[in-house]
Amino acid sequence: MRHDRLLAYAMILPVVAAVLAFVVGPTYNVATLSLTKVVMGMERGFGTFDNFRALTADPVFWLVMKNTAIWILGGTVLCVTVGLAVGTFLALDSRLTGWLRALILLPWVIPDVVTAMAWKWMLHGQVGIIGQTLQDTGLTDRPISFLGDPQLVMWTLVVVLIWRKMPLVALILCAAIRSVPDDQLEAARMDGANAWERFRFVTIPNIAFSLTAVTVISMIWITAEFALPWIMTGGGPANASQIMATYIYQQSFEFFNWGVASAMSVINLLMLVSIVALYLYINRRSWASEGSQ
Amino acid sequence: MTKAITRRSFLGTTAVASIAALAPLRASAASGELSVWKFGGTPTEVEQWAARNEAFAAANPDIELNYSYFNGQIRRQKILAGFQTNRLADVIVAFGQDIPEFVGFGMVQPLDDIAGDRIDGWKERVVPEVLESGMHEGKLYGLPTYVDMASFLAVNLDALEEAGFDRPPATWEELREYARAMTKPDRPGIAFPATTAPVDINIFEGIAYANGGRIYDEETNKVTLNDPGVVDALQLYVDLIADGSTPQATSLTETFFRDTAQLFGQGRSAMWIGLSWLNTPWGVNDDVRWTGVPFPRPETPTGSFDPVAAIMDPTAILMVSSRAENPEAAVEYLDFWSQDAQLEIWGGQPEVARIPAGKAAWDNAELAETWPKWVEAYEAGTLFEGAAPMPRFIGVSAIEAALGTAIQEAVLGQKTPQQALDDATSAAQTQIDLIRG
Repeated sequence: MRHDRLLAYAMILPVVAAVLAFVVGPTYNVATLSLTKVVMGMERGFGTFDNFRALTADPVFWLVMKNTAIWILGGTVLCVTVGLAVGTFLALDSRLTGWLRALILLPWVIPDVVTAMAWKWMLHGQVGIIGQTLQDTGLTDRPISFLGDPQLVMWTLVVVLIWRKMPLVALILCAAIRSVPDDQLEAARMDGANAWERFRFVTIPNIAFSLTAVTVISMIWITAEFALPWIMTGGGPANASQIMATYIYQQSFEFFNWGVASAMSVINLLMLVSIVALYLYINRRSWASEGSQ
Repeated sequence: MTKAITRRSFLGTTAVASIAALAPLRASAASGELSVWKFGGTPTEVEQWAARNEAFAAANPDIELNYSYFNGQIRRQKILAGFQTNRLADVIVAFGQDIPEFVGFGMVQPLDDIAGDRIDGWKERVVPEVLESGMHEGKLYGLPTYVDMASFLAVNLDALEEAGFDRPPATWEELREYARAMTKPDRPGIAFPATTAPVDINIFEGIAYANGGRIYDEETNKVTLNDPGVVDALQLYVDLIADGSTPQATSLTETFFRDTAQLFGQGRSAMWIGLSWLNTPWGVNDDVRWTGVPFPRPETPTGSFDPVAAIMDPTAILMVSSRAENPEAAVEYLDFWSQDAQLEIWGGQPEVARIPAGKAAWDNAELAETWPKWVEAYEAGTLFEGAAPMPRFIGVSAIEAALGTAIQEAVLGQKTPQQALDDATSAAQTQIDLIRG
């Protein structure tokens, strides 16, 4: 028995070491750096809240918070909602959906940089095919600069994000929907439940575990996404699409302002942990019941 | 069995052993591994640089050259990461604007300390004003291969003649008049890039500095983005938009310099504002006749500082890392790039997009053919007259980022130029105070 326990510890040791080295270590470094005054690239004293004070005094930071909320919450809600709708459609048995299940992964496998550049050009106000098509069909008087208009840019980025991230969400949910027991759906039908009621009261509870998992994973993916917004807009115009990821990058690698960048990373981490914890708490029943099956 | 050691064999063996022991020391003056990172450059330049590296390798068989090319936009991230992880290349080919920060952070070392005997040769071969752009606080930190200057105007000659003009505009007032007259429903009279890309900001800085503006005053440690010289330059951008002479404002903020150049090259705008290279790296359609001229001047400069003729920066300057493990080989590499054969790349053989650093490059007929006015001015000794370096100091990126935001806010009509630059000054001052302590 004791031998088994030692063996078990030995077997998880590499994973524990990797987590310590690649997660706990850097997190600790960032946390200490956020409380350190950094001047001209040199650390000048630990134990200060100057970096956090500088952040709260920075008007761009509050804009960044607002944009990040749109990016993470808007992106996650839409990604999961659209993914659920598409996943439900893909769960139907037909030759078309069989093909679509394979094709839908295309946006997922294209590299971020290629995706960003392609969308940037398609959405461009002067040469973009999307604006030109809208104008040619008479839907708009003149081409629209989706990425140059501060009113449109953030939501345009969210749309591209959904195009990129939604396919995998849809496939995961499709697999979950297809595993819902037929007898439950049949029983509901015999009891007179219509299609919406069967979906709401039979399918959704059955896929709650998967739904929770993809929501949390999507939120983490979207929070970590950097290349798409940076390449498409660089945070512009006038910071209208500046989000946490891009502003942290700008503070770190353009301004060499590592203390402030670390403070922002800490806030970003706390925000993400809080949202995920709240979400898991709200969904604790489905999470616990499915997890124990 | 014993073997007697004779005097002759002893001396012979000792001599061979001494040569073997000393040989690596003697060769170490220019041998071993040498890593080089180059950032940015036109397509021709990138191709040529790699080709000349082969010549360097052939001429220095004891040096194992490890050359890597990266996009210019990621240079600060790459160099910083390399420095922090002790994996910085021996030689960095980056921008002159980076020098103060790299020096401040201890990333590069003064060449005076390691290349003393070579610097006289560099002075003989490199145009003094250009070599000066590698200096910081009285020391030489980089060997420039060329400079870019700001700001310039590309003009479509057919559009100019159609509008009834026989010469390009020379003043800001004329520029507005020309742009209005050259505007057609499907072709704006003028376009300028207004993204937050550093080059787009450099283009604007060229206009503001010529109007007596500055973005930072090192003597007082004050951000001066709201100096009248800068505000009025931004007002010119806003006026051009208000005149209806430009593409939509929202389009300007998403179109950076290279895209603007391509639109001009396709005949989709009659003029555009750029750096000294204008369209030369990318060309223009066969049916587009064009010329490049210095950007028009304000009638009366309004800034608090001396107006400059132009601002310039060496955007391929060779620096030696402070952690270079093989400084001898690094200096050998710099010396190789100071030779006429290499510097002539930018004398029109084959690159015509830059202002060459090599004195000999200015004798090339190709350069005179493409840029006759430059060559004339160089020969008259006036090309660099009144020119100043592009902004370079610790924290320059933070101020330029704030300026980029202000330009976009004004262009989009969110704020007046004065409001936008007042806000930018305040934000940038906070950043500068944090960075500089």
